[in-house]
Amino acid sequence: MLRRVFMSVAEKPCRSDQMTTKAPLVSAAGVAKATPNRRNTGPRRRSPALRKAFPYLLLAPAMAYLLVITLYPGLFAIYQSLFVVKFLTWEWTGLGNYSAILQDREFWAALGNTAIIGGISLTLQTAIALTIAYFAYRDPFIRGWRIVYLMPMLFMPSAVAFIWKLAFNDGRVISNLLMSVGLVDGNVDWLGNVWLARMTLIVADVWQWTPFLFIIFVAALQGQDQEIEEAARLDGASWPSIFWNISLPMMRPVIVVAVTLRGIDITTMFTNVFVMTQGTPGGATETMSYFIYRQGFRMFNFGYASAASVLMLILTIIIAQTVVKRAFHSGKK
Amino acid sequence: MAKYRKTRGESLLLRYIVLGGWALVCLLPILWFLSIGFRPRTEVITPVPIYWPTWSLDAWHLLMSDWPIAQYLRNSVIAVAGSVIIDLILAIPAAYALSRYEFKGREDIGFYILSTRMMAPAIVAVPIFFLFKTMGLLDSVWALMLIYAAINLSLVTWIIRSYMLDIPKELEDAARTDGAGDLRILWEIIIPACLPGIITAAVIAAIFAINEFLFTLLIASTANAYTMSVALANFTGGSDGIIYNAIALVSFIAFVPILILVILIQKHLSRGLTMGAVKG
Amino acid sequence: MASIQLQNIVKRYGGFVGVQDISLDIADEEFLVLLGPSGCGKTTTMRMIAGLEEPTAGEIVIGGEVVNDIDARDRDVAMVFQGYALYPNMSIYENIRFPLRMRGIPASEHDGRIRKAADMVELGAFLDRKPAALSGGQRQRAALARAVVRQPQVFLMDEPLSNLDAKLRQSMRVQIKHMQRQLKVTTVYVTHDQIEAMTLADRIVIMNKGAIQQVGTPDEIYSDPANTFVAGFIGSPPMNLIDGVARDGRFTADGISVPCPPQVFGKVTLGVRPEDCHVGGEHVQGLVYGVEPTGDVTYLTVLAGGKKLEVKAARDYRSDIDVPIGISLDPAHLYFFDETGKRIRGAR
Repeated sequence: MLRRVFMSVAEKPCRSDQMTTKAPLVSAAGVAKATPNRRNTGPRRRSPALRKAFPYLLLAPAMAYLLVITLYPGLFAIYQSLFVVKFLTWEWTGLGNYSAILQDREFWAALGNTAIIGGISLTLQTAIALTIAYFAYRDPFIRGWRIVYLMPMLFMPSAVAFIWKLAFNDGRVISNLLMSVGLVDGNVDWLGNVWLARMTLIVADVWQWTPFLFIIFVAALQGQDQEIEEAARLDGASWPSIFWNISLPMMRPVIVVAVTLRGIDITTMFTNVFVMTQGTPGGATETMSYFIYRQGFRMFNFGYASAASVLMLILTIIIAQTVVKRAFHSGKK
Repeated sequence: MAKYRKTRGESLLLRYIVLGGWALVCLLPILWFLSIGFRPRTEVITPVPIYWPTWSLDAWHLLMSDWPIAQYLRNSVIAVAGSVIIDLILAIPAAYALSRYEFKGREDIGFYILSTRMMAPAIVAVPIFFLFKTMGLLDSVWALMLIYAAINLSLVTWIIRSYMLDIPKELEDAARTDGAGDLRILWEIIIPACLPGIITAAVIAAIFAINEFLFTLLIASTANAYTMSVALANFTGGSDGIIYNAIALVSFIAFVPILILVILIQKHLSRGLTMGAVKG
Repeated sequence: MASIQLQNIVKRYGGFVGVQDISLDIADEEFLVLLGPSGCGKTTTMRMIAGLEEPTAGEIVIGGEVVNDIDARDRDVAMVFQGYALYPNMSIYENIRFPLRMRGIPASEHDGRIRKAADMVELGAFLDRKPAALSGGQRQRAALARAVVRQPQVFLMDEPLSNLDAKLRQSMRVQIKHMQRQLKVTTVYVTHDQIEAMTLADRIVIMNKGAIQQVGTPDEIYSDPANTFVAGFIGSPPMNLIDGVARDGRFTADGISVPCPPQVFGKVTLGVRPEDCHVGGEHVQGLVYGVEPTGDVTYLTVLAGGKKLEVKAARDYRSDIDVPIGISLDPAHLYFFDETGKRIRGAR
């Protein structure tokens, strides 16, 4: 800083072909050409190496952080998965954990549960979100609707899990309501039946996360060209058919992105299971994340849990490379 | 911007039945849970559910006396705020590089960063546990801060990148001919120009950090590190069972600031949640 | 003060050549305009002078110094952008101050210089506002002030007036020219608007598809075009260009027969400006296609042999369409171009 100030006051280098005998311009413009702008030492020659490296330098801290968080645990998990770990003792077992897992009924059950519960939940959320988005995006009260519909998503997931745990299981509120409508005769044991238990998880997830999709869908619908809709109206189309034939297809990339994001998060379902069912009955509601948690932190089979983690990682990578890449490229465009 | 489209020829009744119906579905559980927070414990779990309780601040007294609620709050705030700051420091240069420079591997690096968002916490749960164990950071707020930062880094980077892409290149060219270097351009021109994006990213990261459950569960074991999110799971009074009214109260304590933050950025919500893919 | 030399400048983008082998000598204090249609390479050339792009080959010399390796921030050039590029988060005052801060000019001088620059563009009252609060014309002037405050060696202007409406454009043109004369700074100005070029330039460089078509004063460009491109680009309405055959001192095309100098023979193109065409006569026989009175002159379009000819007629000329008409061409102002489009000189 000091050097700059110093240099700017110095003379411009004196070159015979540039010598000027003109008087400094003061009067005409009022902006005196008194102080030259060039540094006396000559301008910086840019170093091409630094120029090229610059973006990498900018990215370096973030990349380093992420690599530590992904690469290290990934390698650690792979390493640990080759051992049977009992507290502090590590016993080599090679691929023993993997063969055990692939024969483990509970592992496949967890995988299946994740798919079933996740799939149903995702489908329901998407359908509901599209429906209310369709009705809401043109409504004059959209601002109000948006805030109300957002609320479930603003609670901590653990809080939401407790809300529904109380409503279904402990507080018997849902049973009570169903009884008063005459749908059931007595208290319903939501944890006693495989599908009932799954349903409680689905309800909790749909209740909390439908807003996520809703917000995105409404934003997309509001961003669509109004003139196209008006042209269709003039052509005699009804609103539902406009939505079905025009708005919805135009929304396809958005739906893909939103559903992909939500879908990925659903496969990691943990909190609801932990709070509401802990996997009962008989492991029917145990998701992959809970399986890993239970193996690692309830039964302390760390090696086993790591093997499961590795398998889940491989699955994630496959999904990321295929579905996500496409989703985000179409979404970006 | 909400556009009001003409609705001639459409059943308004159907529309409001649907919208109103879902609004009830959203609100009733919330209101009911709110009432849970303001009733005495004896009225929470009863043979027949009570819908209109006798109002009491039982839960509040319980929280104040038996639980270090202030500590939980403090932990949450430190871990969340710290992680957001870390993320901004790391993400802003990264987003700058991804959005305004051309270099080999840009697509791949960008995709790699994006992919870390996809990572299920459970996958790295065990290794992270061991990592912090060996570092002696178990049950500390710092561990949580580092974890939250890692989870949200890709989100923050991509959101900010999306907003930076909107800045016209002319602005940079002008600054360059005016004599500014890259870092100065970043600090004085780019960052102010994408401030809404930075705020959106910070808010969304904060919310995800507050919500985080799995890692917090594994890392925190005492009031040293319990956050609001996991503290809920602690409100079991042993033989008393689950203290729902306290849980409900704490839930609402966490709910209010999140609501305020979201209203602040609601225009940018869609763009933030999809990391720039869907502009509101 | 600085002269600029471009020596064999080439700019390639992968396989696409944006600028082909350009050499140019710009004198100190000259107002040079780069004129051409979009995509012709004029903006690219200017950006290379600014340092925002690197030439693939060739050298750029400013003030006697080769500047290829010097970063844009260190070249002593100031640029006015098409979109003005004002920093949105800063007041106009801070916008104008920015280059002074960047160049390390002592803080004590800032205020005086900023106010003088603002006064020069008549923005003194708006210094506190942010760019968003200004109109298009005011923003443009703010951008000018920001460029001027540094007293650089070179001004570069990239179509600065194209976002303004017609009336504003005219008054700004005058102001820019006046300012340049006052400050006596070498200026390179890019535009696709030939009126701007003709009114502002000391010399014009017409470019097309990355190559220079012609360099000259506005008069030279207008009355001595080097090829059909230049001839057809300058002038409003543009010069009439008619393909035909010249033989034995006569140029013939469908509906047209006119004497031509003996050097001209074979397949040639005849060029004649609308103002050098006159109603009445035998050189061109055709039908009236359209009559457009504009108040001070009437534009007459004649259909001859399937081609349309523009004629500048007297302001009270009127006619119905499809009326047969004869047009005479002023022999002193006929231009001939060979098959490649190049002008056959010495033919006037």
